[in-house]
Amino acid sequence: MAAPHRAGADRPAADRPVVHRVVGQPIGRIDGRDKVSGQARYSADVALPGMIWGKALRSPLPHARILGIDTARARALPGVLAVLTARDLPDLLIGRRMFDMPVLARDRVRFIGEKVAVVAAVDLDVADEALALIDVEYEDLPAVFDQADAVKPGAPVVHENPGAYEGAPSERPHPNVQSVLRFKLGDVEAGFRSADRIFEHSFRTQLAHHGYIEPHAGVVAIDADGRVQVWASNKMPFRLKELLAHALQLPKEQIRVNLTPIGGDFGGKGSLMDLPLAYHLARATGRPVKMVMRYTEELMAGNPRHPSNITLRTGVTNDGRIVARHATALFNSGAYAAFKPAPSVNLGGAGMGAGVYRIPNLLIESFCVYTHSIPCGHARSPGEPQMVFAGESHMDMIAGELGLDPAEFRRRNLLADGDLLANGHHLEQVRAKETLEAALQSIDWGRPKPGPWIGRGVAMTHRHIGVGFTNAHVRLEPKGTVALRIGLPDTGTGAHLVLRQVVAEVLDLSVDEVEIELASTDDFDTDSGVGGSRVTHTGGRAAYRAAETLKERIAAEATRLGTPGASLATIAQAAARDGRTLEATYFYDAKAHAAVTSFTAQAAEVAVDPATGQIAIRRFTTAHDVGTVINPIGHQGQIEGGLVQGLGYALMEELQTEEGRISTLSLGDFKLPTARDIPPLTTVLLQDPVGPGPFGAKAIGEGSISAVAPAIANAVADACGVRITELPITAEKIYFALRDAAHTRSAPGSERRP
Amino acid sequence: MTRAVRLTVNGTPRELEIPTYRTLLDCLRYDLGLTGSKEGCGVGVCGACTVLLDGKIISSCIALAVFADGREVTTVEGLAEDERLHPVQQAFIDHGGFQCGICTPGQVVAAKALLDATPNPSDAEIREWMLGNLCRCTGYYKILESVRGAALGVRP
Repeated sequence: MAAPHRAGADRPAADRPVVHRVVGQPIGRIDGRDKVSGQARYSADVALPGMIWGKALRSPLPHARILGIDTARARALPGVLAVLTARDLPDLLIGRRMFDMPVLARDRVRFIGEKVAVVAAVDLDVADEALALIDVEYEDLPAVFDQADAVKPGAPVVHENPGAYEGAPSERPHPNVQSVLRFKLGDVEAGFRSADRIFEHSFRTQLAHHGYIEPHAGVVAIDADGRVQVWASNKMPFRLKELLAHALQLPKEQIRVNLTPIGGDFGGKGSLMDLPLAYHLARATGRPVKMVMRYTEELMAGNPRHPSNITLRTGVTNDGRIVARHATALFNSGAYAAFKPAPSVNLGGAGMGAGVYRIPNLLIESFCVYTHSIPCGHARSPGEPQMVFAGESHMDMIAGELGLDPAEFRRRNLLADGDLLANGHHLEQVRAKETLEAALQSIDWGRPKPGPWIGRGVAMTHRHIGVGFTNAHVRLEPKGTVALRIGLPDTGTGAHLVLRQVVAEVLDLSVDEVEIELASTDDFDTDSGVGGSRVTHTGGRAAYRAAETLKERIAAEATRLGTPGASLATIAQAAARDGRTLEATYFYDAKAHAAVTSFTAQAAEVAVDPATGQIAIRRFTTAHDVGTVINPIGHQGQIEGGLVQGLGYALMEELQTEEGRISTLSLGDFKLPTARDIPPLTTVLLQDPVGPGPFGAKAIGEGSISAVAPAIANAVADACGVRITELPITAEKIYFALRDAAHTRSAPGSERRP
Repeated sequence: MTRAVRLTVNGTPRELEIPTYRTLLDCLRYDLGLTGSKEGCGVGVCGACTVLLDGKIISSCIALAVFADGREVTTVEGLAEDERLHPVQQAFIDHGGFQCGICTPGQVVAAKALLDATPNPSDAEIREWMLGNLCRCTGYYKILESVRGAALGVRP
């Protein structure tokens, strides 16, 4: 069937049925033959002639002065080629937006796991042995670990003068505050004065690693002409080039980042990590250097999801309308702000303190706080799982107090067309209500529950469609296929397949006839990289427009040849004979967010074992307000993957710490969900081609993670009357809460529904 | 201390002089250049390093290479015959049973071992067997579909 596709119509017109030929087809991961056969070369698999290994020595103390480092014994070990400390490196600080972190600790360490020295050796065994031979003399200093303690008067100060750091925000109510982010609508105090009732609840969320199975890895080689070649598990190669140029004091042009497959990202693979060290070792030894973190190092010194303390205060009218909310979030950012990429040096997800509701008088205040703990970074929908857990639990708690059905309380307050988000963006095409109703219907909301100790809960969120900028280059090959060159690495999402489908659709090709050529950072000026739910939008639109231009050029060439019906191969070959290549490049730059968003409603049915507190997720529904789905298999894969991450966050994942020391230092202790932990799942998609992406696509990568935990917490409260306000929701917490409430068990808690 | 080790890897006999403490995973990746098997957790939990030793699945990151002396090792690189993918590998492509692919070598090796022993496993058997292979991208639904699809010989 021919696609009713018009040049220039990368957004469908409302009056026209949308039928696509390639877009929307459930094409499997035909791009992944090398992944299933073990041929894909990830950064840790890169091997170069003469390559040696780098390994870092890490601080065993959370806050200490470094009195001296003796590397003599390590240097003397056969097979050791270099040992470096801060004295051997330029005295500068690195970061993504705020530059506050040394490459190696210079005079003090600020968290357990901070790098203090690095060795280069012929193999990893020698490198490990050398680390054990480095003597560091420390003087203990007082430390602070908890985010609430850190902002008390007199708390130990993590950085003497954070305001002096490049990229530091100016507002600093306490020396340990990195950044403050505020969202305001209306007049919150006036709003509270108009409320009939005011409710305040506090929540805590845990420190959690992203859980990608590929630890950070990188190889740095310095060519004979001084070019610095980099292979790294990094999802933003062009930004990486800029940040490396800054960290290494080199011109950008001297650095080439080569794209590799990335073994999972989830927000965690955007920093420099060990790459500056690998460079300094390569320079010191004249050899290519590989550095691969062990998983233990990932868990003690990656850049995990921020733990938080969140307090929500909400004013409502007697008929269940929200008139005011004040949300306060304290995020424990750890010892450095360096891993946060946003200009605010804060977490944009704090804006979800407003949830999916119309709150005319709103104040959200988000504080990122320094402590002597692992520095935190971005993780899939940064800040949102924390805020949405708090916000959606709070909604049910208020509904219980008001004697309203939690679904009904939500209905009365949902965003609608023309409403504003916390960040001031106005919304159109709002389908919050339809999304909620779809989830409720699927989980049999309001119908009798199948037994005692069984409960149902619902929670909602929404996620923007990301913005950014991408270059795409398409070229007609002599065999009649098209090569799409792109500087976006595929972190696993299947983005490259999506882009091939877009180009194939425009050029009337099959997806097999479009090949991806991975660009290096030499090929384009810039690219915003992967993240923030942007790739289908920015990469898709860039590829679409480049393909459209190529289509015009092909048509012009056919006309010139006088053979309008000629095959693409004939046209390409004829052009080649004239010494010309038919190609097109498009730079797509989306600066402002579209007025549409994407709503999610998730509902859980859980059973609680009253004897043990154990929770069983009997079934789960995830409902999404989506745009045009370009690849249904990949789209569903994003939903399922995010959802199970949300499930792990809800029930089991926690980097447990004691005095700044993480005790869950293996994947045996930091528990991720397994194949046996996943619930029966129903997915409901409400499709409407109104997204800013190609063919009306929206984003899906971050939509399914954030509402899982509150949906389960709300279901647990419905099942047994226990309200869990601290993640993760473990059997122990429920067991002890049930035991404490035993005397009132005959009278169900306010949140238990018949 | 080093020792001479003879092992068969994907059907090819290999002879190596290696340190006694070398893990089978490091031996495969760095001595033999077979980087298909991955190191994730490094402590035998995640399954990214799964290989077959005489047809049985093991975590090669916590097995010593000397332990494989005189035995047969099958890695992900040894599953396809000539250019034809193993049905399990094809099923992972068809059903979207991977995303980033870092755990996939271990997943497909584990799934092959399951189907070799139990050609028609129940859903519960698949889940039980595959729980030793962590995946952070897919949420497992499509991995289970892939294994089921390979068992039934059906393509979507």
